[in-house]
Amino acid sequence: MSDKPDLTEIASFDKTKLKKTETKEKNPLPTKETIEQERKGDATPSVNNFLMTGPKAYLTYTSSVQSGAQSGIEECKHQFAWDRWNCPESALQLSTHNGLRSATKETAFVHAISAAGVMYTLTKNCSMGDFDNCGCDDSKIGKMGGRDWVWGGCSDNVDFGERIGKQFVDALENAHDSRAAVNLHNNEAGRLAVKATLKRTCKCHGVSGSCSIQTCWMQLADFRDIGNYLKIKYDQAQKLEMDKIRMRAGNSADNRGAIADTLSNVARTELIYMANSPDYCMKNLSLGLHGTEGRECLQSMKNLSQWEKRSCRRLCHECGLKVEERKIETVSSCNCKFHWCCTVKCETCTQTVKKYFCAKRNKSRRPHNHSRRRQHKRNR
Amino acid sequence: MDAVIFFPFTHRTAETVALKMAGAIIENMSTKKLVIVGVILLLFQAFSFMVGGLIAPSPTTAVHYLATKCVDAVKTSEKDEWFMPWGPDQCSKIRDFEEATAKRIEANNIVFAVHIPLPHREMSAWFQFMLVILQFDIAFKTHNQIEDGAMATMDVRLAYRDDLMGQWTEMAHSIEHRKLNCNFTTSKTPENDGRYYECDLLPFMEVGSVSHKYYLLNIRLPVNERKKVNIGIGEIKDIRLVSIHQNGGFTKVWFAMKTFLTPSILIIMIWYWKRITQMTRPPVLLEKIIFALGISMTFINIPVEWFSVGFDWTWMLLFGDIRQGIFYAMLLSFWIIFCGEHLMDQTERNRLSVYWKQVGPIVFGSFCLFIFDMCERGVQLKNPFYSIWASDVGTELAMAFIIVAGICACLYFLFLCFMVFQVFRNVSGKRSALPAMTKARRLHYEGLIFRFKFLMLVTLACAAMTVIFFIITQVNEGHWHWGGYTVQVSSAFFTGIYGMWNLYVFALMFLYAPSHKRYGDGQSSVGDQGGNSGEDIQLTTTITHVDGPTEIYKMTGKEAQE
Repeated sequence: MSDKPDLTEIASFDKTKLKKTETKEKNPLPTKETIEQERKGDATPSVNNFLMTGPKAYLTYTSSVQSGAQSGIEECKHQFAWDRWNCPESALQLSTHNGLRSATKETAFVHAISAAGVMYTLTKNCSMGDFDNCGCDDSKIGKMGGRDWVWGGCSDNVDFGERIGKQFVDALENAHDSRAAVNLHNNEAGRLAVKATLKRTCKCHGVSGSCSIQTCWMQLADFRDIGNYLKIKYDQAQKLEMDKIRMRAGNSADNRGAIADTLSNVARTELIYMANSPDYCMKNLSLGLHGTEGRECLQSMKNLSQWEKRSCRRLCHECGLKVEERKIETVSSCNCKFHWCCTVKCETCTQTVKKYFCAKRNKSRRPHNHSRRRQHKRNR
Repeated sequence: MDAVIFFPFTHRTAETVALKMAGAIIENMSTKKLVIVGVILLLFQAFSFMVGGLIAPSPTTAVHYLATKCVDAVKTSEKDEWFMPWGPDQCSKIRDFEEATAKRIEANNIVFAVHIPLPHREMSAWFQFMLVILQFDIAFKTHNQIEDGAMATMDVRLAYRDDLMGQWTEMAHSIEHRKLNCNFTTSKTPENDGRYYECDLLPFMEVGSVSHKYYLLNIRLPVNERKKVNIGIGEIKDIRLVSIHQNGGFTKVWFAMKTFLTPSILIIMIWYWKRITQMTRPPVLLEKIIFALGISMTFINIPVEWFSVGFDWTWMLLFGDIRQGIFYAMLLSFWIIFCGEHLMDQTERNRLSVYWKQVGPIVFGSFCLFIFDMCERGVQLKNPFYSIWASDVGTELAMAFIIVAGICACLYFLFLCFMVFQVFRNVSGKRSALPAMTKARRLHYEGLIFRFKFLMLVTLACAAMTVIFFIITQVNEGHWHWGGYTVQVSSAFFTGIYGMWNLYVFALMFLYAPSHKRYGDGQSSVGDQGGNSGEDIQLTTTITHVDGPTEIYKMTGKEAQE
């Protein structure tokens, strides 16, 4: 893929872009139109139902894309396990089709991690031989795969994952407004996170195993590393001031250019957002928020990080809730004998563990204001 | 008579020996011609860099494979069953091991299958070799950690076929042990369950020729609790393989280069030997060693690899190593002997046995490396999965060989540096005495000094180039973009350095060959020296008798080296 930031392309994302790459493939990728057709009548398209209804011809990719998006969301849940916003299922809806969702910091993260997950899984499955043409990028060279593969090898699987992942995930943004542009930017940031965390590994294989000849390759990092990387980017996410953009662009026709202009000032690896996050303490079903009531938090355990140690304060106290201790009997396996796969011979042990949950305070009005103030601080 | 102090009569024999090499082309050539030769050689040098940098692709390609987890449902007793990861008759596979646990599939029924190459590609004989590296993805589990010194035992099978519908033919079958060297970088707490260990790359397989189109690997990790086989190796999630092979394009460029270089070195070698035999005296040691260097260079150059395209010669890799080893040993010996023969300390040398102290380490070191190579690549001819590094004894043995070879190399370089130092000390000693010498003697020493300094300079330049380029390729990412061109740095390194040492040997044989011009024009000049001291008469007579009038030619006409 090209290395230069090509933001005009994101802004003016249209059908011709998709058509170009699908000509030679045995299993042609969907054109924008087919995707559009599939989506019709679907009020709230999520990654899953979009893919399930996809044309049969490109089913080869769909399961990978699907599980990729899923692994992205799982990682999101892990990363935000002790945050007020804990990556609920409703966040799965990637498209801006649903007018309710706004481009908050959290949405930015979901977009990035999903795009990263899709690219990651596509890359991985490509190495498993799941796809016919992975790696050998015929479209670029313009020759049949055979000769170039023998002459100089094919491009990396990561490039393949990036290309196909881009086609799938970015196709979900069908609008041309500023929010779509921001989402596309965050998708791109997610894919770049995969590339940024790649590990370079080398092997020497010269005369008598000396290093006179050395071959190096890039290896996918653990997906957790990508999650950690994007979490840092989330903490540093930049806000786009929409008012300024509107001011610069007098009418709607210029709007797109103005967005592209603004986006080009932001590094492609950074996450961006437009709207402040809502108060995640509060339950607000119209926004799809469940609040922090009933959430578990961590207290008085060994080996906790600073962020985890404060989880009870963050989730409960600051939201005007109290911490409730519950004793839970868990049946877990212990004294196990493991094989490397599948077989575990265990004894069952019953343990009583203390767990902490956020619960409503009986008489509370004051703490609520307190939380508001905190919330405000956080968003600043 | 200052000269007597430096050259007492007792050392006359040494004197004559040193003089035998005198009168090489380099001394007799005019500066202008020398510059022209230099420029031509530099052009060829630039050309050899460009061939690699612009035409050839990168030298090797690494392809990633993720093993497909196949289920051997009935634990087939028939050994012939092969498990295909994809394609028409692919095995019944599972995505992950949670699925296996749910279906009550045991570890012994799981076969990891890898097809090389990926779908819709074919392997080619142009790839020359293929080595495969293994990596386990082992998830950290607080209750199921990797034990210290855990060893993975694998039942591996390799098969090939040449057409997509054909039967698989077994190439190798072996039970292999690999030591897991994994560490977990984050804290070992339950929250980090599921993160992967960072494991060292494990050498897995190496084949010396890629003569088939399709290869299939089936790997099992059998568990035996009683024998403690594959117990305590953690929770394996995936097996990743990386196969490395030489790019076909690079092979072609490389072969073309070898095919071009072979005749050029061969021709100059024959020409050089003819020159030597034309002389009345037998060749001296230095001339012989230069010729031997030429032979070893030709030996590397001869493109026998062409056969590997048509035949399944797995020993080609080993053969290539041996050829390179011989050349390196020859080059190192040559440097020592060249220094020794230019020492100018009036000791009789001209015999290889004199240099045993210096050449001994080279021979011994190369022998160690040869044994090591035979243990690794030699055994791999029989069992491609063999690795000397896999077992503790093997690792110790291999390390021992390499350390001994390293010590030999250090010893050699100490000797070499000492000799170079000695030469320079003697040179400066001679320098001060030069004006007081007779003309013949002076020219003789000036010639020696010039020859030595020239070779010293060229050698240092070549060595420096090699080292610099080597570092660049190690540090760099493989290719540079230069305008519209992509320059493959490592390919340029290989072709450029290879071309350079070829040119080095070529230049050596050309410039250090006995000069042609001496025939005929020398006799008259002998008389010029008649009036000198007895010692000098002695010197000139030896020259005239043994080596013809080379020295005298110089006296009459040669000033180029100044």
